[in-house]
Parts: sequence; C-alpha cells; structure tokens
Amino acid sequence: MKNEGSASVQPLRRAAIAWVAAAIGIAAAMPVPAQAAAIEVPPLADIAPGERHSGKVVWYELVTTDLAGAKRFYAGMFGWSFRDLHGGDLDYSVALLGDRPVAGLIQRSVMAGERRQPAWLTFIAVNDLEAARRSALAQGARILMEPRSLPRRGRQAVFADPEGAVFAVLASDAGDPADFLPAPGEWIWSALLVREPVKDAGFYQSLFGYELYTLPSKDGLDHLIFATDDLARASVNALPRTAPPDHPHWLSFVRVVDARAMAARAVTLGGHTLVAPHLDRHGGWTAVVADPAGAPVGLMEWSESDSEEDAQ
Amino acid sequence: MNTRARPWGWTAFGLGLLMLLSSCALTWGGYDGEVGISAFPAFYEPYGYGYGGWGGGYAVGPGRGGGRRVGPNPGGPRAGAGFGGRGAPSLPGRSRGRGR
Repeated sequence: MKNEGSASVQPLRRAAIAWVAAAIGIAAAMPVPAQAAAIEVPPLADIAPGERHSGKVVWYELVTTDLAGAKRFYAGMFGWSFRDLHGGDLDYSVALLGDRPVAGLIQRSVMAGERRQPAWLTFIAVNDLEAARRSALAQGARILMEPRSLPRRGRQAVFADPEGAVFAVLASDAGDPADFLPAPGEWIWSALLVREPVKDAGFYQSLFGYELYTLPSKDGLDHLIFATDDLARASVNALPRTAPPDHPHWLSFVRVVDARAMAARAVTLGGHTLVAPHLDRHGGWTAVVADPAGAPVGLMEWSESDSEEDAQ
Repeated sequence: MNTRARPWGWTAFGLGLLMLLSSCALTWGGYDGEVGISAFPAFYEPYGYGYGGWGGGYAVGPGRGGGRRVGPNPGGPRAGAGFGGRGAPSLPGRSRGRGR
C-alpha cells in the first residue's frame, strides 16, 4: 500500500516541477512593454562634475495624450526642437533648446471617453535616493514609482507628498547642473501649491535640506521660498481660496521675454489661458497657460537686473 | 482518497503561478492605480483642477531679496520667524557663458 502511494506521488512531483519551470520560463520570456534599456535619455545638461545641488529642480517631463500636438505647441512657444526616442510601446521625445536637453515628453494614450489631466512632472535633485525614499515614506508620502535606474541619467523615483502633490526625485549619476540664470525658453521656476504651505514645507525641508523663507504677501496667504546653496529653488504657496477644485500640485515656469505676448501666442497655438498675465512680486509679468491637451505651464519674465546679485 | 485527482490541483497551482508571474512582469503600481511606462513615470493628475483665485496680488515667483528666514521647524509655531535675520535668496545672477 505504502509503495503504491509513493509510486503515484513521484509523477505528481515531476508534474509540479514541470509546471513551475514552465511558468517561470513563460513569464521570463514575456516581453515587458517599453523596456527601459530600449530608450536612453540624455544626461542632464550643464552638469558640473562632482557638484551636487540637492533640492534644485533639474528636469521636467510632460505626460500627454497628444505627443505630436504637444511638440507643435512647445516648438511654437519656446523654440524647442525634439529628438524622438522609441522603445517598445513607449513614445518619448527629448525637447532641446539649441543642443541642450530641457525636457522629456511622454505619450500616454487613454481609453475613449476617459478624462485625464496631462501635466508636467517636476524632478528634484537628491544626493541619496534611498535615504530620500525612506524619509519621504516615513513622513506620509506615497511612492508612485519605486526607484529605477536610467543609463547615463541616474536613479529616479516618483512620490505624492503628504497633501498629494506629485513630484519626482533624481539622483544624477554625473552630478547636478551648475547654477546659471536660465535663458529665455528654459525653465526658470517651480511653485508648489498646497493647502497648508507651512506644514507641507516641513516635509520637503527634511527631504532636501532646504532653508525656508517667508515672503511678504498681499493676499493674506502663506508664501514661502525653498533655498539651497544661497539660491531660491522653488516657492510654496497656499492654494487660492477660490481655486476650483482644490488640488495640491507643482507648477513650473519657462522664462520668456514677454509673458503677455506669449500668453496670446499660446491661444493661437491651440492652448488657452489659465491665469491672465499679471505682475509677480519680482516685478516681471507672469501667466499660466494650458497646452492643447490641457497641461498647465507657467510663463515668467525675468530681467537680468531681477537676479540676486543685483538685488542686494 | 483518490490521488489520481491531484494532477488537477497541480494544474490549477501552475496556472495560478503563471498568472502571478505574468502580472508581475507587466504591471506595477502607480498614481491612483495607474500603470507607468517601464522606467518612465507616466502619471496623469486628477482631472480638471482649476486656476481661479489668482487675482488680488497672488504671486508665486521668487522675490528680490525680501522675506525672512524661518526656523528649522516650519511646522511648529511661528516663533522662528526672523531666524538668521536675512532676506530670501533669489535666482542666480550669472548667465551661461558669462563665467562665474
């Protein structure tokens, strides 16, 4: 009886081993869509070898439903050209100003009838991605994309801060970009809009080691500045009381020579105005427009005399 | 007990394992359950947030030396206001190609 039982178990074991081996083999052979190795994004521009600027916003990526439309819009607005990269199901385009990479654009389709909000994702430099991950999660952030390595670029991850604002961190392999005043057509500023700026600022301060400054405001709301290396890196602002609906998020600005003219141009290129041109606290005109797919992007004038060395 | 019926159990186990491994290879978690694209983040924001209420002096840009540094614990009481006694930094003054 015993021998008969053992004899019947042996084929079962062999069948189990065969199944497990087949499952692992088939799963390993299945193609992962858009493999990272298939696309090699360029290193960050203006890298200063060995220089680290934790807390500096160093890269921007647009997720859009209409990559071709976005390229037409941003080329018309800022004079960007594009280098397309294809890998698997992924359509990625590197935006260039001259020969300098300034942004990445990703096509992501949605189901018919599905409404999604295209947006620019802000990448902030960190020295130690794993330490940043631990710190972020310990303070109530959610991780949206676990750390991943990109050849020639570094390691990056995506989080939602405790209020839900989405941002990315990037530990660049070669170092961080040197601090120059951005030229027209380059990103110049990033603003975080949240419900409780003082509280949320503490989260970012512990993550990036920011110094924090309050700014005088005419609207009675909290406006703060993140600074590292004795330079302003971004602002933290209370969402306007009448903002409908209330959604914490990052918003980045491209330097322009004439924000009023560029806001008008955005409309002719199929976009629309979200915030009409107005004078910002530095004395330059600022506006927020949406590209044809609806992604918000800021426009900001900045004269050479607005910069720190002249202001002091 | 009829051990002849067990191959079906192993079949179910194998199929389940195959599905599990396949799902690991094809998806990973993302914003509100979205699926990212490989190593590239591809998250859409919640649809339809607005930009009303920016009038009345609402400004988000950098300053020009104004403002005050606050203490190392911004989440706490505002007792730290004025820490260091200096104005907020601004943007870099040097342009690319103008040297340091």
